[in-house]
Amino acid sequence: MDSFGYLRCLFIALVLFAVPAVEARNDNLQVVVITNASVSSHALSTSQLRRVFSMRQLTWPDGQSMRVFVLNNKHEAHEAFCVGTLNMFPYQLERMWNKLIYSGLGEAPTEVASLDEMLEKVMTTPGAIGYVPSSIVPSENIQIIRLEEG
Amino acid sequence: MLENRLPYFFIVASSLLHAYVQAEEVEVHGFIAQGLIQAPHSNYVDDEGDLSFDLTEAGVNASYRLTPSLRVAGQAVYLNAGNRYAEGARIDYLFADWTAINTLDTQLNVHVGRYKNYHWYYSSIQDVPHARPSIILAQSAYIDAFRDVALGSDGVGLIWQKATDNGEWEVDWSYGTANISREQMQNLLSDIAQGELNQDFVHQFSVKYRDVMSNWQVGFSLLDSDFTYDATPDEILYSGDAVSQRIMVYGVYNWKNLEIVSELMRERAIYNGILSPDFFNQSVAEGGYVQAKYHFSADLSITARLDLYDRDKEDRDGTRLSQMSGGTIPSYFGYMDQAMLGVSYDFAENWRVQAEVHRVKGAGRLAPLLAPDPIANDRKYWNIFALHVMHWF
Repeated sequence: MDSFGYLRCLFIALVLFAVPAVEARNDNLQVVVITNASVSSHALSTSQLRRVFSMRQLTWPDGQSMRVFVLNNKHEAHEAFCVGTLNMFPYQLERMWNKLIYSGLGEAPTEVASLDEMLEKVMTTPGAIGYVPSSIVPSENIQIIRLEEG
Repeated sequence: MLENRLPYFFIVASSLLHAYVQAEEVEVHGFIAQGLIQAPHSNYVDDEGDLSFDLTEAGVNASYRLTPSLRVAGQAVYLNAGNRYAEGARIDYLFADWTAINTLDTQLNVHVGRYKNYHWYYSSIQDVPHARPSIILAQSAYIDAFRDVALGSDGVGLIWQKATDNGEWEVDWSYGTANISREQMQNLLSDIAQGELNQDFVHQFSVKYRDVMSNWQVGFSLLDSDFTYDATPDEILYSGDAVSQRIMVYGVYNWKNLEIVSELMRERAIYNGILSPDFFNQSVAEGGYVQAKYHFSADLSITARLDLYDRDKEDRDGTRLSQMSGGTIPSYFGYMDQAMLGVSYDFAENWRVQAEVHRVKGAGRLAPLLAPDPIANDRKYWNIFALHVMHWF
Protein backbone atom coordinates (compact mmCIF):
# COMPACT_ATOMS: atom_id res chain seq x y z
CA MET A 1 0.00 0.00 0.00
CA ASP A 2 1.44 3.40 -0.95
CA SER A 3 1.32 6.43 1.34
CA PHE A 4 -1.88 7.59 -0.30
CA GLY A 5 -3.49 4.25 0.44
CA TYR A 6 -2.76 4.72 4.14
CA LEU A 7 -4.35 8.17 3.99
CA ARG A 8 -7.47 6.69 2.41
CA CYS A 9 -7.72 4.15 5.23
CA LEU A 10 -7.25 6.91 7.81
CA PHE A 11 -9.99 8.98 6.24
CA ILE A 12 -12.46 6.07 6.14
CA ALA A 13 -11.66 5.30 9.79
CA LEU A 14 -12.32 8.94 10.73
CA VAL A 15 -15.71 8.87 9.04
CA LEU A 16 -16.76 5.51 10.47
CA PHE A 17 -15.61 6.01 14.03
CA ALA A 18 -16.37 9.67 14.61
CA VAL A 19 -18.89 9.41 17.43
CA PRO A 20 -20.90 12.48 18.31
CA ALA A 21 -19.75 13.73 21.69
CA VAL A 22 -21.91 16.81 22.10
CA GLU A 23 -25.60 16.39 22.78
CA ALA A 24 -28.20 19.11 22.94
CA ARG A 25 -27.48 20.82 26.23
CA ASN A 26 -31.08 20.70 27.39
CA ASP A 27 -33.27 18.12 25.67
CA ASN A 28 -36.22 19.05 27.90
CA LEU A 29 -36.32 22.71 26.99
CA GLN A 30 -39.56 23.33 25.09
CA VAL A 31 -39.75 26.28 22.77
CA VAL A 32 -42.79 28.00 21.28
CA VAL A 33 -42.91 30.05 18.11
CA ILE A 34 -44.36 33.52 18.60
CA THR A 35 -45.43 36.27 16.26
CA ASN A 36 -46.62 39.82 16.53
CA ALA A 37 -50.39 39.95 16.97
CA SER A 38 -50.70 41.64 13.56
CA VAL A 39 -49.81 38.34 11.79
CA SER A 40 -52.90 36.69 10.34
CA SER A 41 -51.39 33.18 10.15
CA HIS A 42 -52.04 31.08 13.25
CA ALA A 43 -50.41 27.75 12.34
CA LEU A 44 -47.25 26.72 10.46
CA SER A 45 -45.76 23.37 9.45
CA THR A 46 -42.15 22.34 10.07
CA SER A 47 -41.35 22.84 6.39
CA GLN A 48 -42.87 26.31 6.46
CA LEU A 49 -40.98 27.20 9.64
CA ARG A 50 -37.74 26.04 8.03
CA ARG A 51 -38.41 28.30 5.11
CA VAL A 52 -39.19 31.21 7.42
CA PHE A 53 -36.13 30.82 9.66
CA SER A 54 -33.79 30.04 6.78
CA MET A 55 -34.91 33.45 5.43
CA ARG A 56 -36.43 32.16 2.22
CA GLN A 57 -39.87 33.43 3.16
CA LEU A 58 -40.02 37.20 3.11
CA THR A 59 -43.70 38.05 3.40
CA TRP A 60 -46.78 36.63 5.12
CA PRO A 61 -49.61 35.32 2.92
CA ASP A 62 -51.52 38.57 3.48
CA GLY A 63 -48.61 40.55 1.99
CA GLN A 64 -47.26 41.89 5.26
CA SER A 65 -43.44 41.97 5.43
CA MET A 66 -41.95 39.29 7.64
CA ARG A 67 -39.32 40.20 10.27
CA VAL A 68 -37.40 37.25 11.69
CA PHE A 69 -35.72 37.48 15.09
CA VAL A 70 -33.28 34.89 16.40
CA LEU A 71 -31.07 34.37 19.44
CA ASN A 72 -27.32 33.85 19.29
CA ASN A 73 -26.44 30.39 17.98
CA LYS A 74 -24.89 29.51 21.37
CA HIS A 75 -28.08 30.30 23.30
CA GLU A 76 -29.70 27.12 24.62
CA ALA A 77 -33.16 28.27 23.49
CA HIS A 78 -31.80 28.66 19.94
CA GLU A 79 -30.30 25.19 20.06
CA ALA A 80 -33.54 23.73 21.42
CA PHE A 81 -35.53 25.54 18.73
CA CYS A 82 -33.29 24.31 15.90
CA VAL A 83 -33.14 20.69 17.05
CA GLY A 84 -36.63 20.33 18.54
CA THR A 85 -38.74 22.47 16.20
CA LEU A 86 -36.87 22.79 12.90
CA ASN A 87 -35.32 19.30 13.13
CA MET A 88 -31.93 20.62 12.13
CA PHE A 89 -28.73 21.69 13.86
CA PRO A 90 -27.67 25.29 14.57
CA TYR A 91 -24.63 25.00 12.30
CA GLN A 92 -26.91 24.01 9.39
CA LEU A 93 -29.10 27.06 9.91
CA GLU A 94 -26.05 29.32 10.19
CA ARG A 95 -24.68 27.92 6.92
CA MET A 96 -28.00 28.63 5.21
CA TRP A 97 -27.86 32.24 6.42
CA ASN A 98 -24.29 32.59 5.19
CA LYS A 99 -25.31 31.22 1.82
CA LEU A 100 -28.19 33.69 1.58
CA ILE A 101 -26.22 36.70 2.76
CA TYR A 102 -23.08 36.12 0.71
CA SER A 103 -24.63 34.81 -2.47
CA GLY A 104 -27.27 37.50 -2.87
CA LEU A 105 -30.22 35.19 -2.29
CA GLY A 106 -31.61 36.83 0.80
CA GLU A 107 -31.17 38.82 3.94
CA ALA A 108 -29.95 37.99 7.42
CA PRO A 109 -32.32 37.53 10.36
CA THR A 110 -32.06 40.05 13.18
CA GLU A 111 -30.17 38.66 16.15
CA VAL A 112 -31.35 39.71 19.60
CA ALA A 113 -29.20 39.61 22.71
CA SER A 114 -31.66 38.14 25.20
CA LEU A 115 -35.09 36.60 25.68
CA ASP A 116 -36.36 39.93 27.00
CA GLU A 117 -35.27 41.65 23.81
CA MET A 118 -36.85 38.86 21.76
CA LEU A 119 -40.21 39.47 23.47
CA GLU A 120 -39.91 43.20 23.10
CA LYS A 121 -39.02 43.04 19.40
CA VAL A 122 -41.77 40.57 18.52
CA MET A 123 -44.28 42.56 20.54
CA THR A 124 -43.47 45.90 18.93
CA THR A 125 -42.60 44.94 15.33
CA PRO A 126 -45.47 44.33 12.87
CA GLY A 127 -44.98 41.03 11.01
CA ALA A 128 -42.38 39.81 13.53
CA ILE A 129 -41.71 36.13 14.27
CA GLY A 130 -39.41 34.60 16.88
CA TYR A 131 -39.32 31.94 19.59
CA VAL A 132 -39.03 31.72 23.37
CA PRO A 133 -39.03 28.90 25.95
CA SER A 134 -42.59 27.74 26.63
CA SER A 135 -42.09 28.59 30.32
CA ILE A 136 -42.15 32.25 29.39
CA VAL A 137 -45.65 33.65 29.27
CA PRO A 138 -45.89 35.82 26.16
CA SER A 139 -46.81 39.43 26.64
CA GLU A 140 -49.72 41.24 25.14
CA ASN A 141 -49.68 41.84 21.42
CA ILE A 142 -48.00 38.44 20.87
CA GLN A 143 -49.59 35.22 19.59
CA ILE A 144 -48.29 31.65 19.88
CA ILE A 145 -48.13 29.80 16.56
CA ARG A 146 -49.64 26.31 16.41
CA LEU A 147 -47.27 23.73 14.88
CA GLU A 148 -48.72 21.43 12.24
CA GLU A 149 -47.42 18.13 10.88
CA GLY A 150 -45.02 18.25 7.93
CA MET B 1 2.10 49.28 -2.80
CA LEU B 2 -1.41 50.48 -3.57
CA GLU B 3 -2.46 46.97 -4.58
CA ASN B 4 -1.17 45.57 -1.30
CA ARG B 5 -3.31 48.04 0.63
CA LEU B 6 -6.39 47.56 -1.52
CA PRO B 7 -8.07 44.82 0.54
CA TYR B 8 -7.58 46.78 3.76
CA PHE B 9 -8.96 49.96 2.20
CA PHE B 10 -11.81 47.81 0.95
CA ILE B 11 -12.67 46.51 4.40
CA VAL B 12 -12.44 49.89 6.15
CA ALA B 13 -14.66 51.50 3.55
CA SER B 14 -17.21 48.70 3.70
CA SER B 15 -17.23 48.73 7.52
CA LEU B 16 -18.03 52.44 7.45
CA LEU B 17 -20.71 51.77 4.88
CA HIS B 18 -22.05 48.94 7.04
CA ALA B 19 -22.36 51.34 9.99
CA TYR B 20 -23.93 54.05 7.84
CA VAL B 21 -26.65 51.88 6.38
CA GLN B 22 -27.75 50.25 9.62
CA ALA B 23 -30.75 52.53 9.77
CA GLU B 24 -31.63 52.07 6.10
CA GLU B 25 -33.32 49.24 4.22
CA VAL B 26 -29.98 48.29 2.73
CA GLU B 27 -28.11 45.20 3.90
CA VAL B 28 -24.32 45.37 3.73
CA HIS B 29 -21.99 42.53 4.68
CA GLY B 30 -18.41 41.66 3.99
CA PHE B 31 -15.35 39.64 4.83
CA ILE B 32 -11.59 39.80 4.82
CA ALA B 33 -9.16 36.91 5.07
CA GLN B 34 -5.39 36.68 4.99
CA GLY B 35 -3.32 33.55 5.18
CA LEU B 36 -0.13 31.67 4.57
CA ILE B 37 0.14 28.87 2.06
CA GLN B 38 2.85 26.63 0.69
CA ALA B 39 2.75 23.88 -1.92
CA PRO B 40 6.32 22.65 -2.49
CA HIS B 41 7.16 20.92 -5.78
CA SER B 42 4.12 22.33 -7.54
CA ASN B 43 2.98 25.55 -9.23
CA TYR B 44 -0.33 25.45 -7.37
CA VAL B 45 0.42 28.75 -5.56
CA ASP B 46 3.66 29.92 -7.19
CA ASP B 47 6.20 28.37 -9.52
CA GLU B 48 8.85 28.05 -6.79
CA GLY B 49 6.67 26.32 -4.19
CA ASP B 50 7.76 28.80 -1.51
CA LEU B 51 5.85 29.88 1.57
CA SER B 52 3.52 32.60 0.35
CA PHE B 53 1.17 35.27 1.66
CA ASP B 54 -0.83 34.97 -1.56
CA LEU B 55 -3.96 33.96 0.28
CA THR B 56 -5.90 37.20 0.48
CA GLU B 57 -9.65 37.51 0.04
CA ALA B 58 -11.75 40.59 0.75
CA GLY B 59 -15.32 41.21 -0.27
CA VAL B 60 -18.28 43.43 0.37
CA ASN B 61 -21.85 42.80 -0.66
CA ALA B 62 -25.04 44.79 -0.49
CA SER B 63 -28.69 44.18 -1.19
CA TYR B 64 -31.44 46.74 -1.45
CA ARG B 65 -35.14 46.04 -1.44
CA LEU B 66 -36.90 48.30 -3.93
CA THR B 67 -40.35 46.79 -3.37
CA PRO B 68 -41.54 43.74 -1.35
CA SER B 69 -40.99 41.57 -4.45
CA LEU B 70 -38.02 43.28 -6.10
CA ARG B 71 -34.49 43.69 -4.79
CA VAL B 72 -31.01 44.13 -6.17
CA ALA B 73 -27.92 42.40 -4.78
CA GLY B 74 -24.23 42.54 -5.62
CA GLN B 75 -20.81 41.60 -4.33
CA ALA B 76 -17.33 42.86 -5.19
CA VAL B 77 -14.23 40.96 -4.14
CA TYR B 78 -10.49 41.37 -4.25
CA LEU B 79 -8.39 38.21 -4.55
CA ASN B 80 -4.71 37.48 -4.40
CA ALA B 81 -4.10 33.76 -4.46
CA GLY B 82 -0.96 33.38 -6.56
CA ASN B 83 -1.39 31.09 -9.53
CA ARG B 84 -4.76 29.85 -8.31
CA TYR B 85 -6.77 32.85 -9.54
CA ALA B 86 -6.17 35.99 -11.52
CA GLU B 87 -5.21 38.67 -8.97
CA GLY B 88 -7.41 41.72 -8.62
CA ALA B 89 -10.91 42.97 -7.99
CA ARG B 90 -14.01 41.63 -9.69
CA ILE B 91 -17.79 41.68 -9.41
CA ASP B 92 -18.87 38.21 -8.30
CA TYR B 93 -22.55 38.90 -8.74
CA LEU B 94 -24.88 41.81 -9.44
CA PHE B 95 -28.46 41.02 -10.27
CA ALA B 96 -32.09 42.02 -9.90
CA ASP B 97 -34.08 39.48 -7.89
CA TRP B 98 -37.81 39.40 -8.62
CA THR B 99 -39.99 37.21 -6.39
CA ALA B 100 -42.67 36.18 -8.87
CA ILE B 101 -44.47 33.75 -6.55
CA ASN B 102 -44.38 33.92 -2.77
CA THR B 103 -46.64 31.81 -0.60
CA LEU B 104 -45.80 29.93 2.59
CA ASP B 105 -45.21 26.78 0.52
CA THR B 106 -43.98 27.99 -2.85
CA GLN B 107 -41.56 30.59 -4.07
CA LEU B 108 -40.29 31.46 -7.53
CA ASN B 109 -37.43 33.92 -7.98
CA VAL B 110 -36.11 35.32 -11.24
CA HIS B 111 -32.54 36.63 -11.30
CA VAL B 112 -31.42 38.88 -14.15
CA GLY B 113 -27.85 40.18 -14.42
CA ARG B 114 -24.66 38.54 -13.17
CA TYR B 115 -26.32 35.72 -11.27
CA LYS B 116 -24.54 33.26 -9.03
CA ASN B 117 -24.18 29.53 -9.62
CA TYR B 118 -26.52 27.86 -7.10
CA HIS B 119 -26.43 24.45 -8.77
CA TRP B 120 -23.62 22.67 -6.90
CA TYR B 121 -23.51 22.20 -3.15
CA TYR B 122 -20.76 24.75 -2.49
CA SER B 123 -20.82 26.75 -5.74
CA SER B 124 -22.63 29.78 -4.34
CA ILE B 125 -20.31 30.12 -1.34
CA GLN B 126 -17.00 29.08 -2.83
CA ASP B 127 -15.88 32.71 -2.83
CA VAL B 128 -16.71 33.28 0.87
CA PRO B 129 -13.91 32.18 3.21
CA HIS B 130 -15.96 31.63 6.37
CA ALA B 131 -18.78 29.87 4.53
CA ARG B 132 -16.54 27.29 2.86
CA PRO B 133 -15.84 24.05 4.72
CA SER B 134 -12.10 24.44 4.11
CA ILE B 135 -9.57 26.91 2.76
CA ILE B 136 -9.25 24.90 -0.44
CA LEU B 137 -12.32 23.14 -1.81
CA ALA B 138 -12.31 19.70 -3.44
CA GLN B 139 -10.54 20.28 -6.73
CA SER B 140 -12.37 17.50 -8.59
CA ALA B 141 -15.58 19.57 -8.52
CA TYR B 142 -14.35 23.09 -7.66
CA ILE B 143 -11.15 23.44 -9.65
CA ASP B 144 -9.53 26.79 -8.84
CA ALA B 145 -8.59 27.52 -12.46
CA PHE B 146 -12.31 27.70 -13.31
CA ARG B 147 -13.27 29.74 -10.24
CA ASP B 148 -14.59 32.84 -12.02
CA VAL B 149 -16.30 30.90 -14.81
CA ALA B 150 -17.96 28.51 -12.37
CA LEU B 151 -19.04 31.14 -9.84
CA GLY B 152 -21.63 32.93 -11.93
CA SER B 153 -22.64 34.21 -15.34
CA ASP B 154 -24.32 37.12 -17.06
CA GLY B 155 -27.83 36.05 -17.98
CA VAL B 156 -30.97 34.83 -16.31
CA GLY B 157 -31.65 32.31 -13.55
CA LEU B 158 -34.79 30.81 -12.04
CA ILE B 159 -35.11 29.37 -8.54
CA TRP B 160 -38.28 27.49 -7.63
CA GLN B 161 -38.76 26.26 -4.07
CA LYS B 162 -41.59 24.14 -2.76
CA ALA B 163 -42.24 23.00 0.80
CA THR B 164 -44.29 19.80 1.06
CA ASP B 165 -45.37 17.67 4.02
CA ASN B 166 -42.38 15.38 3.44
CA GLY B 167 -39.63 17.79 2.51
CA GLU B 168 -38.41 20.75 0.56
CA TRP B 169 -37.73 20.82 -3.17
CA GLU B 170 -35.58 23.31 -5.04
CA VAL B 171 -35.30 23.45 -8.81
CA ASP B 172 -32.78 25.84 -10.37
CA TRP B 173 -32.30 26.74 -14.02
CA SER B 174 -29.92 29.27 -15.53
CA TYR B 175 -28.62 30.38 -18.91
CA GLY B 176 -25.84 32.90 -19.51
CA THR B 177 -22.23 33.49 -20.32
CA ALA B 178 -19.19 34.35 -18.20
CA ASN B 179 -16.52 36.86 -19.04
CA ILE B 180 -13.03 35.32 -19.23
CA SER B 181 -10.17 37.70 -18.50
CA ARG B 182 -6.78 37.46 -20.19
CA GLU B 183 -5.14 36.24 -16.96
CA GLN B 184 -7.79 33.60 -16.53
CA MET B 185 -7.45 32.48 -20.14
CA GLN B 186 -3.70 32.05 -19.71
CA ASN B 187 -4.33 30.20 -16.46
CA LEU B 188 -6.57 27.78 -18.34
CA LEU B 189 -4.62 27.44 -21.57
CA SER B 190 -1.04 28.59 -21.19
CA ASP B 191 1.06 31.74 -20.96
CA ILE B 192 1.67 31.42 -24.69
CA ALA B 193 -2.03 32.04 -25.44
CA GLN B 194 -2.37 35.55 -26.91
CA GLY B 195 -5.87 35.34 -28.40
CA GLU B 196 -9.29 35.65 -26.87
CA LEU B 197 -11.22 32.93 -25.07
CA ASN B 198 -14.98 33.39 -24.84
CA GLN B 199 -17.66 31.33 -23.24
CA ASP B 200 -20.48 31.15 -25.82
CA PHE B 201 -23.05 30.00 -23.26
CA VAL B 202 -23.49 27.99 -20.09
CA HIS B 203 -26.79 26.22 -19.52
CA GLN B 204 -27.42 24.66 -16.11
CA PHE B 205 -30.23 22.81 -14.38
CA SER B 206 -30.40 21.27 -10.92
CA VAL B 207 -32.82 19.66 -8.50
CA LYS B 208 -32.37 19.40 -4.72
CA TYR B 209 -34.46 17.65 -2.10
CA ARG B 210 -34.19 17.96 1.66
CA ASP B 211 -36.19 15.51 3.75
CA VAL B 212 -37.99 17.28 6.57
CA MET B 213 -38.02 14.48 9.13
CA SER B 214 -34.51 13.20 8.61
CA ASN B 215 -31.26 14.94 7.90
CA TRP B 216 -30.74 13.79 4.35
CA GLN B 217 -30.32 16.10 1.43
CA VAL B 218 -29.74 14.93 -2.14
CA GLY B 219 -29.53 16.54 -5.54
CA PHE B 220 -28.22 16.45 -9.06
CA SER B 221 -27.15 19.04 -11.62
CA LEU B 222 -26.47 19.25 -15.34
CA LEU B 223 -24.20 21.66 -17.19
CA ASP B 224 -23.61 22.31 -20.87
CA SER B 225 -21.19 24.98 -22.06
CA ASP B 226 -19.36 25.96 -25.24
CA PHE B 227 -16.15 27.98 -25.55
CA THR B 228 -14.48 29.61 -28.55
CA TYR B 229 -10.82 30.53 -28.85
CA ASP B 230 -9.85 33.19 -31.40
CA ALA B 231 -6.11 33.07 -31.96
CA THR B 232 -4.05 36.05 -33.07
CA PRO B 233 -2.25 35.69 -36.44
CA ASP B 234 1.24 35.55 -34.93
CA GLU B 235 0.84 33.14 -32.04
CA ILE B 236 1.59 29.43 -31.68
CA LEU B 237 -1.96 28.39 -30.83
CA TYR B 238 -4.80 28.13 -33.35
CA SER B 239 -8.41 29.18 -33.28
CA GLY B 240 -10.76 26.49 -32.10
CA ASP B 241 -13.55 25.59 -29.75
CA ALA B 242 -14.26 23.48 -26.72
CA VAL B 243 -17.30 21.86 -25.15
CA SER B 244 -17.79 21.08 -21.47
CA GLN B 245 -20.68 18.97 -20.23
CA ARG B 246 -20.95 17.99 -16.61
CA ILE B 247 -23.33 15.90 -14.54
CA MET B 248 -23.10 15.94 -10.76
CA VAL B 249 -24.90 14.20 -7.94
CA TYR B 250 -24.57 15.01 -4.28
CA GLY B 251 -25.72 13.80 -0.91
CA VAL B 252 -25.50 15.36 2.55
CA TYR B 253 -26.17 13.66 5.84
CA ASN B 254 -26.17 15.40 9.21
CA TRP B 255 -26.02 13.27 12.31
CA LYS B 256 -25.86 15.44 15.39
CA ASN B 257 -22.47 17.11 15.20
CA LEU B 258 -21.22 15.15 12.23
CA GLU B 259 -21.87 16.27 8.68
CA ILE B 260 -20.96 14.10 5.72
CA VAL B 261 -21.01 15.61 2.23
CA SER B 262 -20.26 13.85 -1.02
CA GLU B 263 -20.36 15.11 -4.59
CA LEU B 264 -19.63 12.96 -7.63
CA MET B 265 -19.13 14.32 -11.11
CA ARG B 266 -18.60 13.17 -14.67
CA GLU B 267 -17.39 15.74 -17.19
CA ARG B 268 -17.13 15.38 -20.94
CA ALA B 269 -14.60 17.71 -22.59
CA ILE B 270 -14.17 18.15 -26.33
CA TYR B 271 -11.34 20.18 -27.82
CA ASN B 272 -11.38 21.09 -31.50
CA GLY B 273 -8.37 22.96 -32.89
CA ILE B 274 -6.45 25.29 -30.51
CA LEU B 275 -3.30 23.11 -30.29
CA SER B 276 -3.17 22.48 -34.06
CA PRO B 277 -5.64 23.07 -36.92
CA ASP B 278 -6.64 19.37 -36.98
CA PHE B 279 -6.43 18.69 -33.27
CA PHE B 280 -9.44 16.85 -31.85
CA ASN B 281 -9.69 15.33 -28.42
CA GLN B 282 -12.64 14.01 -26.49
CA SER B 283 -12.41 12.66 -22.97
CA VAL B 284 -14.65 11.96 -20.04
CA ALA B 285 -13.27 12.89 -16.64
CA GLU B 286 -14.62 11.42 -13.42
CA GLY B 287 -14.17 12.57 -9.88
CA GLY B 288 -15.73 13.12 -6.54
CA TYR B 289 -15.12 13.51 -2.87
CA VAL B 290 -16.35 12.42 0.53
CA GLN B 291 -16.02 14.97 3.28
CA ALA B 292 -16.68 14.63 6.99
CA LYS B 293 -16.95 17.67 9.23
CA TYR B 294 -17.25 17.19 12.97
CA HIS B 295 -18.37 20.05 15.23
CA PHE B 296 -16.86 19.69 18.69
CA SER B 297 -18.67 22.88 19.65
CA ALA B 298 -20.12 25.96 17.97
CA ASP B 299 -16.55 27.29 17.69
CA LEU B 300 -14.38 24.26 16.96
CA SER B 301 -14.58 21.75 14.14
CA ILE B 302 -12.37 19.41 12.17
CA THR B 303 -12.77 18.46 8.53
CA ALA B 304 -11.41 15.43 6.68
CA ARG B 305 -11.85 14.92 2.97
CA LEU B 306 -10.83 12.44 0.32
CA ASP B 307 -11.05 13.78 -3.22
CA LEU B 308 -10.38 11.70 -6.35
CA TYR B 309 -10.10 12.86 -9.94
CA ASP B 310 -9.26 11.09 -13.20
CA ARG B 311 -8.81 13.28 -16.26
CA ASP B 312 -9.91 10.54 -18.66
CA LYS B 313 -11.87 7.50 -17.50
CA GLU B 314 -10.26 5.52 -20.34
CA ASP B 315 -6.79 6.51 -19.16
CA ARG B 316 -7.03 6.63 -15.38
CA ASP B 317 -3.31 6.19 -14.75
CA GLY B 318 -2.32 8.79 -17.37
CA THR B 319 -0.25 6.38 -19.47
CA ARG B 320 -1.85 7.38 -22.75
CA LEU B 321 -1.54 11.09 -21.90
CA SER B 322 2.18 10.63 -21.35
CA GLN B 323 2.60 8.59 -24.55
CA MET B 324 0.71 11.19 -26.63
CA SER B 325 3.11 13.88 -25.39
CA GLY B 326 6.13 11.79 -26.31
CA GLY B 327 6.93 11.40 -22.64
CA THR B 328 7.25 15.11 -21.93
CA ILE B 329 4.12 15.08 -19.74
CA PRO B 330 4.43 12.57 -16.88
CA SER B 331 1.56 10.15 -16.41
CA TYR B 332 0.67 11.71 -13.02
CA PHE B 333 -0.92 14.62 -14.90
CA GLY B 334 -3.71 12.18 -15.73
CA TYR B 335 -5.21 12.27 -12.25
CA MET B 336 -5.19 14.14 -8.96
CA ASP B 337 -6.17 12.51 -5.69
CA GLN B 338 -6.15 14.59 -2.56
CA ALA B 339 -6.57 13.81 1.15
CA MET B 340 -7.18 16.76 3.46
CA LEU B 341 -7.31 17.25 7.20
CA GLY B 342 -8.22 20.66 8.61
CA VAL B 343 -9.24 22.40 11.80
CA SER B 344 -11.35 25.51 12.25
CA TYR B 345 -11.63 27.62 15.41
CA ASP B 346 -13.72 30.74 16.02
CA PHE B 347 -11.54 32.59 18.52
CA ALA B 348 -13.84 35.63 18.78
CA GLU B 349 -17.21 36.78 17.48
CA ASN B 350 -17.00 36.73 13.66
CA TRP B 351 -13.29 35.84 13.71
CA ARG B 352 -11.96 32.45 12.64
CA VAL B 353 -8.63 30.74 12.11
CA GLN B 354 -8.39 27.71 9.84
CA ALA B 355 -5.45 25.41 9.21
CA GLU B 356 -5.21 22.45 6.88
CA VAL B 357 -2.82 20.04 5.29
CA HIS B 358 -3.31 18.25 1.99
CA ARG B 359 -1.49 15.20 0.72
CA VAL B 360 -1.79 15.13 -3.05
CA LYS B 361 -1.09 12.42 -5.59
CA GLY B 362 -0.94 13.63 -9.17
CA ALA B 363 -1.23 17.00 -10.90
CA GLY B 364 -4.25 16.61 -13.18
CA ARG B 365 -6.09 19.69 -11.84
CA LEU B 366 -3.15 22.10 -11.90
CA ALA B 367 -3.16 25.05 -14.29
CA PRO B 368 -2.49 25.56 -17.09
CA LEU B 369 -4.78 22.69 -18.00
CA LEU B 370 -4.14 22.47 -21.74
CA ALA B 371 -0.34 22.73 -21.49
CA PRO B 372 0.76 21.16 -18.18
CA ASP B 373 3.99 22.34 -16.55
CA PRO B 374 6.08 19.25 -15.68
CA ILE B 375 9.10 21.33 -14.61
CA ALA B 376 7.38 23.15 -11.75
CA ASN B 377 5.30 20.07 -10.95
CA ASP B 378 8.11 17.57 -10.72
CA ARG B 379 6.70 15.23 -8.08
CA LYS B 380 3.91 12.70 -8.20
CA TYR B 381 3.30 13.20 -4.48
CA TRP B 382 3.24 16.68 -3.00
CA ASN B 383 1.69 18.59 -0.11
CA ILE B 384 -0.20 21.79 0.60
CA PHE B 385 -0.07 23.60 3.93
CA ALA B 386 -2.39 26.52 4.57
CA LEU B 387 -3.33 28.80 7.45
CA HIS B 388 -6.12 31.37 7.11
CA VAL B 389 -7.40 34.05 9.49
CA MET B 390 -10.71 35.63 8.58
CA HIS B 391 -13.21 38.20 9.80
CA TRP B 392 -16.72 38.82 8.57
CA PHE B 393 -19.58 41.17 9.31
